[in-house]
Amino acid sequence: MNETREKTLVDILDKKMNRQLLYYLDICTRCSICKDACHQYVSTRDVLYLPAYRAELIRRVYKKYFTGMGQFIPALGEAREIDDKLLDELYQTTYACTGCRRCMFYCPFSIDTTWILSVAKAMLIAAGRGSQILAELSGASISKGENIDLFKDIIIDTLKSTEKELQEKVGDAKANIPIGKEGADTLYVALAGTHTILPAAIIFHQARVNWTLSLFEASNYGYFLGNVPQAKTIAQRIVDEARRLKVKEVVITECGHAYRVMSHFYETWAGEKHLFKVRSILEVIAEYIREGKIKLARGHVSKPLTYHEPCQVGRNAGFYEEPRYIVRQVASDFRELTPNRERNWCCGGGGGLVAEFEFDDLRIKTGERKVQQIRETGAEIVVSPCENCRLQLDTLNEKYNMEIEIISMMDLVVDAMVIDKAAN
Amino acid sequence: MNWFSFLAAGVLVYIAVAVFLFGTGYRVFQWFRVPRSGIRLGIFPQPRNKGARVLWMARDSFFFPQVLDVDRWMWLFVILLHLGGIAAFVGHLRIIQEFTPLVNALGDEGMAQFALWSGGTIGIILLVTVLYLLFRRFKSPYKDLSTPEDYFLLVLILVIILLGNHLRFFGDIHVADYREYLQSLLAFRPAFPEAIAESGTRWVLASHVLTANILLIYFPFSKLVHFIGAFAGNLLRSEKQ
Repeated sequence: MNETREKTLVDILDKKMNRQLLYYLDICTRCSICKDACHQYVSTRDVLYLPAYRAELIRRVYKKYFTGMGQFIPALGEAREIDDKLLDELYQTTYACTGCRRCMFYCPFSIDTTWILSVAKAMLIAAGRGSQILAELSGASISKGENIDLFKDIIIDTLKSTEKELQEKVGDAKANIPIGKEGADTLYVALAGTHTILPAAIIFHQARVNWTLSLFEASNYGYFLGNVPQAKTIAQRIVDEARRLKVKEVVITECGHAYRVMSHFYETWAGEKHLFKVRSILEVIAEYIREGKIKLARGHVSKPLTYHEPCQVGRNAGFYEEPRYIVRQVASDFRELTPNRERNWCCGGGGGLVAEFEFDDLRIKTGERKVQQIRETGAEIVVSPCENCRLQLDTLNEKYNMEIEIISMMDLVVDAMVIDKAAN
Repeated sequence: MNWFSFLAAGVLVYIAVAVFLFGTGYRVFQWFRVPRSGIRLGIFPQPRNKGARVLWMARDSFFFPQVLDVDRWMWLFVILLHLGGIAAFVGHLRIIQEFTPLVNALGDEGMAQFALWSGGTIGIILLVTVLYLLFRRFKSPYKDLSTPEDYFLLVLILVIILLGNHLRFFGDIHVADYREYLQSLLAFRPAFPEAIAESGTRWVLASHVLTANILLIYFPFSKLVHFIGAFAGNLLRSEKQ
């Protein structure tokens, strides 16, 4: 490794240094409690996937370049220089992490491993060793934002058939999917494709909401990649749109990370406050049901059903009650996974892993906990409000012959909705 | 006092205490010198208000109940190690100031018996827990994660405990003599009183103080800063979103 490159990478650690990170780097005692918290370590027994070890790689670099002890007695803390071997190890440990933060829950000092790994990602990117697939996906999102006029007509065209489906479902020939509607109350941000647009359109139509659809997809590969400027640019497309349309709230579709990016990260990245409320579709649906704006057929699903709690929805965003409230309205045989809520296991596909085929074997292997958890309940249907989780569950379903049905929360709701076509 | 005792149990004590205090202060200053990130890292569920947040932080820092889920033995040994450490610290305070109410209640002989039993029990608990933590690190995956610092600290603490236990169980030095030695330190004229100077265990005492000094000097620059940082980390855990 040449000296300028080494210096560049050290500078990144220096620039990224903040108080939270410094605490985390200084206080870890390497007690290894986190080993039993990580689904990847538990399934592989490989120290590379032990959360404290992943963090330790960055800690060793920090010791080498930023502490007196690392300068004078590097061997004591195994302080190490940045070299190609370290970067190889960093890539494997960092991009394999699903960012579920279960280790943070179990850590006696509450060390957020993902916070440390975000520095690792920044260093890898600067070394030209960031995840290529995630970088391409991130780049595609940004390019779509820059050339939206080219995409707009295609999007509107695609939605025409979706609009027809909507009209049939609700029995209203005037029902439509508004795009770029100024003065709408709600800007709904869906995923790429129409599968999260149609059910939302049905729900909004029935709840008589003055809404409009965002031209942009909610998912943010810049966030998974660990490239903050790109992640910010991707989220900013939506923020700018919300401002232009003067909406009161931005509702993010059922997706783990997109809600967090908009609600927990964006304001700090951009250094400005949101001029609108940010809500997850989960709380919005729960509210509509509570207020009687939409009606569901109670006990519509009688097959045993379980709820897989996406880490970014539960532990990292706090939506524990809303999904359960919705599920209980619809399913007569709802079975909880054990453990659940803040202790729930990651499905194994988070952090963009489902998009990175190089980690396919790892994510299939490390999904075994989730498979076991689901089997223990005897559930035939698994509902989960996160696209990454659902894709991972689909893979597990196939590879482990689980014979389960995997559905999204909105599909569950729409299937059970009581639609009075005469009233529309 | 011979030259070894004078250095190890005399001069070095001042240096160790100064390094520990200033070093710890410097480390805290280092943390506060770095700006905070505005991103809030809390996980859920979150406490209802600020008071609850402090209570949760204290609960997590002193009892770390979530560890019970994954490793009950580790939880037990770690709790015992820390409680033992605090108890040993409190026991040593008798050298500064006699626990007079206790002496009044138990009588001189009773107090000596009590000190022997309580100090002895704590010494054994510390010994067992440190050995557990040390041997744990000899096997994978703990071994793969451990750095020399981890072993160094555990061995150092083990030596301090062994020497302390030796003084407790086999020593012939009494608390009044220790008090006299401490007074000499406080007067900046370090000297062993006659009883210690003529005792066969004076080398053990000097080594006990020496190793404790090394621990104090290394403390602020090691992972042991978790004794302050743990509170910060556990407070971030519930940072409001």
